[in-house]
Amino acid sequence: MTDLSHLDRRSLLRLGGLAAGGVGLGLAGPGVITPTRAAAAEVSVECDAGQNENPFLWKSAELQSHFGISPHMVGLPFVGQYEKLVTDLTARSAVYDVLVFPPYFLGDFVQLGFLRELDPYFHLLDPKLADYLPVYRDPVIKRNGKTYALMFDGDLLQVAYRSDLFGDPEEQKNFKAKYNHDLAPPTTWDEYMQVAEFFHRPPKLYGTAFYAQRGFCYAWFINIFAGFGGQWFGKDMKPAIDSDAGVRALALLVEMKKYAPPNILQIDYPTLNEIFLNGSTAIVVQWDDLALKVENPAMSKVVGKGGFAPCPVRSYMPYSRVMAVSAFSKNPDKAYQLASYMQQPEVSATYVYDPDCGQDPYRFSQLNVADVKNHLGKPTMSEAAAKSYVDAIGAGLKAGYPELSIPGAPRYIDLLDLYVNQALAGSLPPKAALGACANEWESITEAYGRKTQQAAYDAWIASFRAVGLQY
Amino acid sequence: MTAPAFNAPAGWPTRRAVPGRRFGWLLVTPALAMFAANCIFPLVYAVLISFQHYQMLIPVPPRFAGLANYVAIFSDPLFWSSLKVTLWFLAGVIFLQFPAGFALALLLDRLPKRADLAATVLLIPTIIAPSVVAFQWIQLYNYQFGPINFLLGLAGIARPTWTGSPSLALPSLMVVDFWEWTPFIMLLLLAGLRALPTDIIEAARVDGSSAWQVTLRMRLPLLRPVIGIAAVLRVLMSFKLFDIIYVLTAGGPGAATENLAYFTYIQAFRYFNLGYASALAILQLILVIVLAKALLALTRQSGRQVLPA
Repeated sequence: MTDLSHLDRRSLLRLGGLAAGGVGLGLAGPGVITPTRAAAAEVSVECDAGQNENPFLWKSAELQSHFGISPHMVGLPFVGQYEKLVTDLTARSAVYDVLVFPPYFLGDFVQLGFLRELDPYFHLLDPKLADYLPVYRDPVIKRNGKTYALMFDGDLLQVAYRSDLFGDPEEQKNFKAKYNHDLAPPTTWDEYMQVAEFFHRPPKLYGTAFYAQRGFCYAWFINIFAGFGGQWFGKDMKPAIDSDAGVRALALLVEMKKYAPPNILQIDYPTLNEIFLNGSTAIVVQWDDLALKVENPAMSKVVGKGGFAPCPVRSYMPYSRVMAVSAFSKNPDKAYQLASYMQQPEVSATYVYDPDCGQDPYRFSQLNVADVKNHLGKPTMSEAAAKSYVDAIGAGLKAGYPELSIPGAPRYIDLLDLYVNQALAGSLPPKAALGACANEWESITEAYGRKTQQAAYDAWIASFRAVGLQY
Repeated sequence: MTAPAFNAPAGWPTRRAVPGRRFGWLLVTPALAMFAANCIFPLVYAVLISFQHYQMLIPVPPRFAGLANYVAIFSDPLFWSSLKVTLWFLAGVIFLQFPAGFALALLLDRLPKRADLAATVLLIPTIIAPSVVAFQWIQLYNYQFGPINFLLGLAGIARPTWTGSPSLALPSLMVVDFWEWTPFIMLLLLAGLRALPTDIIEAARVDGSSAWQVTLRMRLPLLRPVIGIAAVLRVLMSFKLFDIIYVLTAGGPGAATENLAYFTYIQAFRYFNLGYASALAILQLILVIVLAKALLALTRQSGRQVLPA
């Protein structure tokens, strides 16, 4: 070890200064040497942590070379994202430039002034909105006629079933003998229950499964509720969730537990994927990206055995993801360029069919069987499976049922989820659970102001009626 | 009883004449200011907004609500269910962890060697971050691949859905808490046991008391002050329990594991219903103070009763 005892204090300070300077130069070195990296503007992108950050990472080099943008990912937990964003943005934090979140936050975020209007930035890079599927355009990214977000992920619930079981002549014969009609992807919820009952052969094969854990179980309820003709609110913003359609839908979901694995109340998004991918379930309703995972041998034991169809009657469109520019961003131009680039037709087509991320189609140009490839351009499905998948998305979107997106939507939805979960857990009967939920909804509506909420709800309904969705 | 007057000996400095008194206050002032800013102000502010309609997400200025938030809490079924969960959990803490902690402390107290090493090993769960503990138990409780269910399966016992069953979820959380915090109680009681006067215990043994009698009639009463402190600490910690619930069950299934802390968190940070959440926090504070006072009163009769006069 070097003996420094002979050095006086001043010499030691000089030596320390030189050492610190050397370390500093070393750290700063690559930035000084590489002009492109030094010029790159860092744009922080908030996104729920995990697979949904991947598209930004895959496009990082392109963003740098085209716009001099270096995306800095800030991953937030999937559950808890809303509270974290509201807390940070209320404090006017500039920590995020681009915000990636589900559109049901949009009502609150626009009202609270968290987002920049994007129309004035369109000249920087045309977002090509004419190519958006209409259900994802005005109803999802606009409020009061202004654009506040761009699409990143078009979510939709879809039926995935075991095509090998459905195609088995013996199964077909037995099914027809029992239910007096052909074994086929269900078009009504009664048919869905028959399929679930027929294939329920525990412990090797369960009839069905669904997201029953607290957090998103409401979506599986709304999916059935929509099929029974239910609506979120009725006249004068009175909750319609506890209508006959609601009680029937929740009772059916509770009954569906009979044909599900015993740990049904623990089943969330990855678990639901897993129990279909390991071949232990005959039919499930899941977000549409399950299809890509089914055909991926690294993830699935049922490659080539997956069939895909729209949900019976209506297909609920829960979650999705949009990209918006924070009102507090210090670099809104670059933030907009990043968001706009990521959703360009030729860019988004390279990730919406990749099983290593959770993004799903939202443009006309993406509904193309030839585009069902991963981000490296390798096909992710057989042509037949890809056709079944893309057709199911197209058919599902035609009968899509949009997610509530008015001020207070996260709170309405969270309470609905709690009470649906209470019914699934057996703590409350369906009618009582939905009645209690309706009471809570009334207090939210009162707090926001009934007239204000009615106006927001009417505008929201009008936006998707205008694109041809029934309600 | 009046305290006897203290007469300072001649030549001692008087109160007024103590040198540097002002300087002393000057030194203490930053700490006092920090305390006022970080403890007193938030508490007063919470009390104030508990009397207001204050919903952060609604662009309406807060307005005076009187007792409306408190009235609303008492008519909210979710409050009552979360209170029930909190009290059940507390009962589990008191009635399961204390006997086990005491038994462990007695065992270690009698170990001739390696007691400190054993205590350190037993304390490992207590020093792990609660969220990490919760993640460990997610794996242990896993329905399909968890080691607990694997062993039950080998024994031919049907696999339970530990955190997915409304009837098992809360006991499952209690088990996690038991694993994590029983060693803490053991540690406090072990320290108490080692501080007990040995002479009277030896005298009792000479008088023919059995080990059981010595434990029940001498050690346990003498440990009352320590038990009181440990109980108050655990009551406070149980009321604040949040991280394990957040990670392991998120309050579910239904509201089966939603305690007061989690319910308050949802109101404050998911719904941003700040007036209501503050009222909830104040009620919890009152409840904790009452419980802590009651526990301390119960243990106030210290072991002096058993000590010879």
